Amino acid sequence: MKCSECQMENIEGALFCEECGAKLETMNELQGAAMESPAGRLLLASPDGSTLEIPAKDDVVVGREDPISEVFPDLDLTGFGGMEKGVSRKHAVIHRSGADYTVEDMTSTNGTYVNRKKVQPNTPQAIKPGDELRFGKLAFSLKAA
Amino acid sequence: MKNELNIRCIMSKDSLPVTDGEQAVYALVDIKAGTGTTPATMPANIALVLDRSGSMDGEKMNNLKEAVGYVVDHLGDNDLVSITIFDDQVETLVPSRPAKNRDEIKAGLASVIVRGGTQISDGLSAGLAEVKKGISRDRVNRIVLLTDGQTWDDEDACLKLADEAGRLGVAITSIGIGEEWNEKLLLQIAERSRGNSHWIQNPIAILDAFRQEMEGMQSVAVTNVTMTGRMSPGVRPVKVFTTVPMIADVSARTVSGSMLQADLGSLDGRKGQAVLIEARVPAHKAGAYRVGQVEIRYDLPSGGLSGRSVKADLNITFIADAAGAAKVNAEVMNLVEKVTAFKLQTQALTEADAGNIVAATRKFQAAATVLLDLGEDELADAVKSEIAALKRTGSLTAAGTKKLEYGTRKLTQVMTEAMKR
Repeated sequence: MKCSECQMENIEGALFCEECGAKLETMNELQGAAMESPAGRLLLASPDGSTLEIPAKDDVVVGREDPISEVFPDLDLTGFGGMEKGVSRKHAVIHRSGADYTVEDMTSTNGTYVNRKKVQPNTPQAIKPGDELRFGKLAFSLKAA
Repeated sequence: MKNELNIRCIMSKDSLPVTDGEQAVYALVDIKAGTGTTPATMPANIALVLDRSGSMDGEKMNNLKEAVGYVVDHLGDNDLVSITIFDDQVETLVPSRPAKNRDEIKAGLASVIVRGGTQISDGLSAGLAEVKKGISRDRVNRIVLLTDGQTWDDEDACLKLADEAGRLGVAITSIGIGEEWNEKLLLQIAERSRGNSHWIQNPIAILDAFRQEMEGMQSVAVTNVTMTGRMSPGVRPVKVFTTVPMIADVSARTVSGSMLQADLGSLDGRKGQAVLIEARVPAHKAGAYRVGQVEIRYDLPSGGLSGRSVKADLNITFIADAAGAAKVNAEVMNLVEKVTAFKLQTQALTEADAGNIVAATRKFQAAATVLLDLGEDELADAVKSEIAALKRTGSLTAAGTKKLEYGTRKLTQVMTEAMKR
């Protein structure tokens, strides 16, 4: 199995390149996720293969449910380890406008990232299938549903 | 029996494609105390070994006295405690005794005046002697070593004492304050004795470190934990990492041919232990395949039980259709990624120590990429700062090295805000 970053030959089944640490296994999964289908609905796909469909609403709040504070986001990431990975109760909002989507950070404690770049709080940023979305330390790839 | 320990064996993939050659597999062996255990009932046997050298003057010593007061206040009457202080001389202020008359014990430290240099081995030796007086399999036996300075040419003696402590089941928690101490030595002392290590930048965090230590000690319910792995014919274990309280490469002392034998010490009741095994499996025809079996042996002092044992199999399935091979388990993937960051950082520091700046820079850059992927932006920034320092001066900074050594080892742990400062 050849590393696409440094060309080092690694043993079959290795998860990360022994030389440069690049991911070997998930490359294919991410490539497979990069299908352009802007007109359709979107999914958040976690590295273990489980998915979370983004509800068909114009504004979808992403965060962590907290009944005591009466916070019930549209997409609850508690079950994905949201607490441990620094997801805020109201972390970000995904806006839909026709076939276009944006993500906007709601001044979360640990930030929102698109393709490893931090999104400015309260500033919508365009997203599309194939992008990596990260809420705090919790990463998903965005897929067409 | 079934409530004593919970063991989970998770493979990186449930299935592998049939191929002609060897393949890599990773197994996560997660060990947690079960609901049938009763923590906080095991008495402690603790030695505090504290640096009183001249550089400890002021805020450090004041915070240390407060932290020792906290420890003494939170010990039970049946716990044993001793206090040893050292500079280039050693003095046992409080010989091992039950933690009664707490004010009297605390008064022992109150009058300490800072002076002299730093000779860690003498302090460690005296502290170990105190722990030995009350050593018992029914107690949590521990030394807490705190220093802020480089020791004087006695590193080998320190490591021999750490080995001895490890053999006796006495874990050493080493704590370094500030930047002028040898992180490699303190980390090795901890690793060899199956203990923990902390880096404290701000003296105010001394209390936090001691508090963590007390909570860890008081949650221990399972002791003398060992893991034996017996691999199937042709399977080669190549690396073994323990991940609690820090990521540590224990391959050299664990792997022997197709066998694994890991001494895991006491089990922190809150965190348990997670062992990552990397192995090579030989080519195999389609069908179920047992990679190996792990056996966990342990004592349960609160129940008066010793030599308990539980076994679990490491299983995968070989399938002919490569496209149908299972996806990677996310939990194992995450742990392997953290261990990869730790490995790259370790390789980079080794290259930097040897003066190989180009190779060190390459490894650091790789480590930074993995850390960013893990969402560890602060640590990734620290790596980038060290790359810049390496290019500018040809060497690393003392603070940066410590941040990387401790930060990557503790990727599996949640640190408190005070201890990050």
